[in-house]
Amino acid sequence: MVPPAVSIARRRTPPAPPIALPARPAPLLDPRQIERLLSAAMSRGAEFAEVFAEHAVNTAVVLNDQRIESAQSGLVQGVGIRVIDGAKVGYAYSDDLDEPALMRAAQTAALIAHGKGSEAAIRVSRAPVPSHYQVPIPLMDVALTDKAKLLRRADREARAFDARIKVVQASWADHTRRILVANSTGHLVEDTQNLCRINVSVVAESAKGERRRGFFGGGGRVPFSHFDTFTPEHVAREAARQAIATMGAVEAHAGPQTVVLAPGWSGILLHEAVGHGLEADFIRKGTSLFAGKLNQKVASDLVTVIDDGTVAGGRGAINVDDEGQPGERKVLIEKGELKGYMFDSLNAKLMGQRSTGSGRRQSFRHLPMPRMTNTFLAPGDDTPEDILKGVKRGLYCAMFGGGQVDITNGNFVFEVSEAYQIENGRLGRPVKGAVLIGVGPTALANVSAVGCDPMPDPGMGTCGKDGQSVPVGVGLPTLRIDDVTVGGTRVGGGA
Amino acid sequence: MSGEKKVIQRLIRQALKLGADQAEAWLERGRNGSVRVRDGEVEELTESTAKGVGLRVFVRGRLGFAYGSDFGNAALDALAGRAVALAEASAKHRHHGLPPAEELRGHARVKGLFDKDIAALAPDWKLKTALEVEKAGRAYDPRVSNFRSVGAGESVHEVHLATSEGFTGSYEGTYAFLFAVPVASENGELQTSYWSDSKRFLADLDSPEAIGREAARRAARMLGARKVPSQKVPVIFDPLMAASFVNAIAGAANGESIERGASIFVGRQGERLAGEHVTIVDDGLLERGLGSAPFDGEGVPTRRSPILSQGVLEGFLYDSFTARKARTRSTGNAARGYSSLPSIGTHNLYLEPGTESPESLIAGVKNGFYVTSMLGQGADLVTGDYSRGANGLWIEDGELGHPVQEVTVAGNLLQMLRDVDAVGSDLQFRGGTGAPTLRFRELTVAGS
Repeated sequence: MVPPAVSIARRRTPPAPPIALPARPAPLLDPRQIERLLSAAMSRGAEFAEVFAEHAVNTAVVLNDQRIESAQSGLVQGVGIRVIDGAKVGYAYSDDLDEPALMRAAQTAALIAHGKGSEAAIRVSRAPVPSHYQVPIPLMDVALTDKAKLLRRADREARAFDARIKVVQASWADHTRRILVANSTGHLVEDTQNLCRINVSVVAESAKGERRRGFFGGGGRVPFSHFDTFTPEHVAREAARQAIATMGAVEAHAGPQTVVLAPGWSGILLHEAVGHGLEADFIRKGTSLFAGKLNQKVASDLVTVIDDGTVAGGRGAINVDDEGQPGERKVLIEKGELKGYMFDSLNAKLMGQRSTGSGRRQSFRHLPMPRMTNTFLAPGDDTPEDILKGVKRGLYCAMFGGGQVDITNGNFVFEVSEAYQIENGRLGRPVKGAVLIGVGPTALANVSAVGCDPMPDPGMGTCGKDGQSVPVGVGLPTLRIDDVTVGGTRVGGGA
Repeated sequence: MSGEKKVIQRLIRQALKLGADQAEAWLERGRNGSVRVRDGEVEELTESTAKGVGLRVFVRGRLGFAYGSDFGNAALDALAGRAVALAEASAKHRHHGLPPAEELRGHARVKGLFDKDIAALAPDWKLKTALEVEKAGRAYDPRVSNFRSVGAGESVHEVHLATSEGFTGSYEGTYAFLFAVPVASENGELQTSYWSDSKRFLADLDSPEAIGREAARRAARMLGARKVPSQKVPVIFDPLMAASFVNAIAGAANGESIERGASIFVGRQGERLAGEHVTIVDDGLLERGLGSAPFDGEGVPTRRSPILSQGVLEGFLYDSFTARKARTRSTGNAARGYSSLPSIGTHNLYLEPGTESPESLIAGVKNGFYVTSMLGQGADLVTGDYSRGANGLWIEDGELGHPVQEVTVAGNLLQMLRDVDAVGSDLQFRGGTGAPTLRFRELTVAGS
């Protein structure tokens, strides 16, 4: 196919999302005050200034030993002021919201520039914002007792699943985050981002004293009624099932194997092995092994990778990013060919590109940087049954713990918390202690089958980069990868 | 009374008025600055003032917690109201409650928390220092011309704690840090590494030249890394990797994991788990220690808490809640920030050094693996299974040889403790955990 002229290829134009126009609460900062702050921030002749205001209410409930152990709530509010001059960034933030404190922050950030400021007044006006999540009742307004009830239901269900389930911990967390972004181009947007998650973790113990763990959770930018269908019982059963199913697991066989990844959460492999290396800061600095490989083959023909900030209700969905740019759907790799990177506005400017709505930050205390939203691998043609049948000997990875990547040399690792031997196309004994290790592009080149099955993302991913955490979605259909190094303790003697 | 004391006293008074039986307020205030440089110029300069307060209340044995950063009277009263309301929604727990007054006495004087030199640093110190780090890294090796990031920064902060049980305390602290993440490149291959230092006193901080050089050396020597065949061999962890192993051991000694039965150390107190040369301690009183403090997140005096004494599992780490569950007393290991409830953590955790030099540890290995960086969380504290992606250098006939990547090292924490057959003399802290070079008799390396 003919490579497109622009670096960011879109497979199709996404439908225009509906524009949200509900009555909104008072703005986080008065527009006139914002204009004064922006003028002060530009006073030394910078080329760009931005005010980011945040107000977040966080609630968390923890169940332990069959009862609600604690309930907590926090209010986080503050303003960060960013000034950009060339490639230099000055940043100052304050949790004091009075005008003198904010003005000091603006003047401090302004110091990054050394010129003489323009006298031109800045006028900001509100831009419309798309709507990829509808949470009519903010999660902060849902009664705490209703949140606690979900946890007690999960606890009962997990214990009822099997007598060997000895420990059940369940937790709830929700965030109602309002952000306002305004900058010296006059752009002003506000967004309210609700987010919630239920988690259940269990420890099972057999009569012989073998201990196994299980973990599951989920949520997203969804209303509380989401848990009418994504029930706490479902989450608890899945956590308990993993712990019981892995009883009697044998040690992982160390060395190269064919692996089959279960659909859904295993998308964290994609997130780690590929996603981070396509973030524009690493590309611009030449510290990612994907730098300079645009339009080159970086994966098997079967691999198409998409990052999509517009997934309705998705954990990583954003109406606007933390620089005020709309979330987008971006094809990063198409049929094995590298088609584009994820840009925040600073790296886009420095590279002569445009922002892809990928500038995200943990809070007003942090600078934005290019981040993923919901990252998934597009489904292929094979049924999951056929994929499994085709493997004579290998490892089926049903559930993953954490993963990590070195974006420079491409090395990644994944802990497989639930795995089974594959023998003659069927699942065999559970395997413990397995870790997958590889180099991103090599693993992508070794993808030999992609499932046509759905890839449910339960909504429990949190991505860390340079000390900042942001919620993300992941997804993968059933996937076969050949010749993956499996770390384990058993060496030699055949599988 | 200082403004901070007024804030926490008001919160406690208000909580008691609203029906709380006990209340405790933890307040932090500080200023932080950090810089990142690139190609001899500033890239990001961040300055901030930050503050916040967290209020923990107990209402008829129920726990509520709320935090915020608005110190206005109306906001404080609302925060107290939220905390009490949250407690009403929680369940009663007989082990809930603040530490009793008698556990809040006997604080030792901790030396070296606050450095006036850091508090008085010139505004351009960060920038100058970071530029020196970058320059030294580049000068070390022509193959290191790029950095993922290079930076420096400082923090000056204070903590205030008061409880309805009569405790009040506060302290001031400082720290400064330097870091470098270089990228070495040759023939299209890229390798990275990381080196940093973080100290409470400016005089203790490694020089910018030392940080830049060491970071560059660690990145450059990884060029040409390759897989090795799967095999069981002696493995050496450098001090940085040994510190991560020590962290895993401390995780298994976390009193909460013990209470839950979710640790390999359950029921093993008093057992010999390693040779006599293995002693792991958490010390909250270490002079100039990054994690030192006179009291923990609940006001309990910090102390020196041995985990493994000469190979014997001596004790676990507790806050007051888990201590009550375990019918013991808090070890002063309640860690917290204003926005979180106390939870068990370590202060200055370290493995005591031995007498052999790291070179001598390496010289004792004919065929083995010297690990300098790892990927992944690694340890399952319930089963002890340990498996991580590892990079480093292959040891051939007692000398460091070719670089290795894309392999894992795996074992079991209990077996690994038994297998520690040599401890180096080179204890160093790069953060809150310190360790010397550590040699394991055998681990599984999985590669080709």
